[in-house]
Amino acid sequence: MSAGGRTAALELVGVDKRFPGVHALKNVSLEVRPGEVVGLIGENGAGKSTLMKILSGVYQPDGGEIRHDGRKVVLRSPIDAAATGIGMVHQEQSLLTNLTVAENIWLGKEKPFLKGRLIDHKAMAAAARRQLEKVQIDIDPTVVTEKLSFAQRQMVELAKVLTLEEEIEGHLVIMLDEPTSVLEQAEIDILFARVRALRDRASFVFVSHRLDEILDLSDRVYVMKDGAVVAEMPSADADTEKLHSLMVGRSRNAEYYKENRQKPYRPEVVMAASGLTLAGAYEGVDFELHAGEVLGIAGVIGSGREELARTLGGLAPATGGTLTVFGRPARLATPGEAVSLGIGYVPRERRVEGIVGFLPVVANITLGNLRAVTRGGLIDHAKERTTAETWVKRLAIKTPTIRTLVMNLSGGNQQKVVLAKWINAGAKIIVLDHPTRGLDVGAKEEVYELVRSITAEGVAVILTSDTLEETIGLSHRIIVMKDKRVTERFEAMPGGKPDQLDLIRHMV
Amino acid sequence: MNPAVAARLRDVAPILTLILLVLVVGIGSRGFLSPETLLVLAADTSTLFIMAAGITFVILLGGIDLSVQAVASMSSVVMALLLPSLGYGAFPAALAAGALLGLANGLAFTRLRVPSFISSLAVGGIATALALAFSGTRSIPIGEELRHAYLWWITGRMLGIPAEIWLGLIVLAICLFVERYTLFGRWSLAVGAGEPAAVASGVPVALVKLLACVVSATLAAFAGMVLGGRLVAGSPTLANEFLLPAVAAVVVGGTALTGGVGSVWRTLIGALIVSVVRVGMTFLGVDVFVQQIVLGIVLILAVWITIDRAKIPIVK
Repeated sequence: MSAGGRTAALELVGVDKRFPGVHALKNVSLEVRPGEVVGLIGENGAGKSTLMKILSGVYQPDGGEIRHDGRKVVLRSPIDAAATGIGMVHQEQSLLTNLTVAENIWLGKEKPFLKGRLIDHKAMAAAARRQLEKVQIDIDPTVVTEKLSFAQRQMVELAKVLTLEEEIEGHLVIMLDEPTSVLEQAEIDILFARVRALRDRASFVFVSHRLDEILDLSDRVYVMKDGAVVAEMPSADADTEKLHSLMVGRSRNAEYYKENRQKPYRPEVVMAASGLTLAGAYEGVDFELHAGEVLGIAGVIGSGREELARTLGGLAPATGGTLTVFGRPARLATPGEAVSLGIGYVPRERRVEGIVGFLPVVANITLGNLRAVTRGGLIDHAKERTTAETWVKRLAIKTPTIRTLVMNLSGGNQQKVVLAKWINAGAKIIVLDHPTRGLDVGAKEEVYELVRSITAEGVAVILTSDTLEETIGLSHRIIVMKDKRVTERFEAMPGGKPDQLDLIRHMV
Repeated sequence: MNPAVAARLRDVAPILTLILLVLVVGIGSRGFLSPETLLVLAADTSTLFIMAAGITFVILLGGIDLSVQAVASMSSVVMALLLPSLGYGAFPAALAAGALLGLANGLAFTRLRVPSFISSLAVGGIATALALAFSGTRSIPIGEELRHAYLWWITGRMLGIPAEIWLGLIVLAICLFVERYTLFGRWSLAVGAGEPAAVASGVPVALVKLLACVVSATLAAFAGMVLGGRLVAGSPTLANEFLLPAVAAVVVGGTALTGGVGSVWRTLIGALIVSVVRVGMTFLGVDVFVQQIVLGIVLILAVWITIDRAKIPIVK
């Protein structure tokens, strides 16, 4: 029950969800009142996506319940969710670009338009036009979706979700998952105006990384962190800095990040960028990376830091500027080139780019430098086993045997296998792209230990991280990016580490 | 069923199937289990196995090679045409012709990024056309003298065992060695099991794919030579009807069409299963057309059992 005695359109009560090794949602309660726009924010891994997936019927909660108009509902599938009155406008748009707008809007609901066994396209288009009027957009429903701009498609998607209105009883709740991430400002203004105009038809849950937008559109805001709701407040009482510190804010624990083991970096420069540019992603980036240093790159989504990390791993060659590795110009056109220069990339998508799940631990560890375990060009299996066993022992990788398939290891141990691969390959520069994503606290700590050990031995690390806290805790120096450019640099040695707010100021 | 048990069962299913089939046919027809019949069966399997061994490398990395039967036929034509003039030189020439087609297929696959399904189908068409052109659309018989002079290593016997069996065993040994001890072998598995991770690890993925196509076509050409030697002729349609059994052999053996899992060793088991089914059906008096139907059904069943749906939820 909500304030004012009105029944909430949608209510989550004590919802809990666990995945192997991760407690993704911890006793989450949240309500959406009729006609309300609720903002939902949180860092990556805070649990927003899991929450959305539970609301759209993709995941089932382990505990707690969902109520729609005060009645408990069980959402076993996206179809269930839609039938209940919960619609979703996806971040990755869900329209099929090879179908017409009308066909998309009525996909799976063609029955009313059947004339005999054939589809009456005229009737379908006319009905689609009525849906498009709801979002006040003037496009021809018979046009193929591919021809529409991204912003137009988003409106079509919204119109499609609004078809639920006629099918359900009770309130319609529409989730907007990062709807503005690829829109221009003018398009965002239109979208917001439409959402406001639709409030008498539906309630909205608005998920975005852009806090100013959240404040602009939402009536109330929920802040999530580590799988729990940590704050809820009317937008009128919030500002971006306050929200951001709530989102990231936990008192940084020097011990957690092994700061006592953080040694000063060495004078020699191992990698240097000057005016480095990747068209459309980042521009004019300068930095120097020293042996034994952790260089953190901070920035919000869209700041260009994600692409910068991939460039340094050899996966997205820069289009301008210069990059030198150990004093020699390097293009890093392919991962192979990066590997041969002594660069190892630990990717964000561990299961896709990090490990080969169907290969055993031993083959994964030697994959980055298989030649090292050959004799006369042929794989020396005894040598390979010894190598793998050494790393399993040194990094305390928990695996039944080195023949175990990596897919059967926990996330933390998979990540250690990826690190072992690069250390074994003799990498002198390691790019850590969100290295602790999806790991539990204990596994994160082990990764931090490892970072301290390898840097003590002179390995340099480029770090992009899910949390500012981690960036600050691990780094020697931090560069902050905003809107594709470096906006500020910080020294971050133990004892002189910047505050999260210092960084945030230059990020948003 | 618990997944570990299911995986274990999937693992040993091919060899159990083979034993079961041999027993069933052996009981149904007593002549089947005689040493002489079994030797003929093994010799018969050899060409199929050699061809299937080649495809295994392509399937291991997640691709497919549909050009093998056409390449084999073409190779038999090249061999039969060149034997009179080149003698032993005809064999490397036929192999080289196959390797060249494999190279073309591999380049289309890796450079032009045409799916291997299409590139190999197209190259197969080219191979057939070449074979027809070279041979004037006829079968080219190999004379008695030439056969005695040059084909002894295909048609003869060593230690009482048909030479073809030895050839199959040599191919098996080489392939197992490549699989286990070479960078190419390991990289094939890595590409098949997780191409993005292999790319990010610096594995020369395109080169591995290219090489696999060349290996496949070269072994197909070798199979074509052996088959041509056996039938003492080269023909543009010599190896027709081999593609289905060859792909079946790979898959029935338990090498996943999705890549990353399998071995030439498994392909040997698969080839033997296919042979026992065919020969066994002949022994049991099953019509030759019905045999083809049974083979098709066996292929579908094998894929149904071996495909790991946890890895690929959507099948197209």
